[in-house]
Amino acid sequence: MSFDFDAGKYAVYLWPAFAISAVAFAWLIGDSLAMARRWRREVDRLQAELDENRP
Amino acid sequence: MDARHTFDFLTNPERFMAFSRWAAPWLGGLSAVAAVIGLTLTFMVPEDYQQGDTVRMMFIHIPAASLSMFIYLCLGIASLLSLVYRHVLADLAAQACAPIGAVYTVLALITGSLWGRPMWGTYWVWDARLTSVLVLLLFYLGYMGLRGALEDEQKAARSAAILALVGVINLPVVKFSVDWWNTLHQGSSTFFADKGDHLPAVYAWPAAFMALAYLGGFGALWLVRIRALVWRRKARSLSLKLAEGAR
Repeated sequence: MSFDFDAGKYAVYLWPAFAISAVAFAWLIGDSLAMARRWRREVDRLQAELDENRP
Repeated sequence: MDARHTFDFLTNPERFMAFSRWAAPWLGGLSAVAAVIGLTLTFMVPEDYQQGDTVRMMFIHIPAASLSMFIYLCLGIASLLSLVYRHVLADLAAQACAPIGAVYTVLALITGSLWGRPMWGTYWVWDARLTSVLVLLLFYLGYMGLRGALEDEQKAARSAAILALVGVINLPVVKFSVDWWNTLHQGSSTFFADKGDHLPAVYAWPAAFMALAYLGGFGALWLVRIRALVWRRKARSLSLKLAEGAR
């Protein structure tokens, strides 16, 4: 068996479907990782500030 | 080990953070490997004698559609646990899976529409399956909208959880719509279909790998988003402590 990337007359439907799926997953991964990183940094920053203010 | 503590890694926030720290990358890696194998097979299988090359759409449409229902079930279970036990992690789990489920549902609708045009001659038809999946998307959007609209977080969580539970009623409608009504959408032809309707093995393998990829992807993304929400909650509590200290 070999690769078959020639979708012929259906290419106009097939490739957008794969492209949209790829973009959606890229967004989901990027957004989830960015969200986790942002709040983790915020916790670190606030914790450091709290430690500094502790008598 | 005491049986009562078997699921501590899901109920104790600290243990959950330790568990999810290694589980998320593992699930992500598993998903990536399954996606590579699945996509390789997707473009190696022969075209269908009736559907031609559009048959390849199946390998991204079916997992998105199945997972959109599965994720809503997770949302419903997490919402129920958060309502009954008022467990923080259950609430965060519900909140974290809604956007992922919404994206999977949008993908199911778009890929289905792009598959429908060459096969049915139309992008959209108001049949029971398509309409019930659209309703599923509206429940996801409603859940997220409700959580964002109310300022009081506890009220928002409770209202959204009740809405999520109401939406669970739609799941059997989505699943069995093709059996209960005459629909343009075909009946099930995957692993759980009647014997005569099963996918041939040559299509079953890429379908299985892509399903694993979408499932693993959901698992990894869910854990990452719950972790983010746990940190957000902690950040808010630290902010309060700082504000109290400044008085």
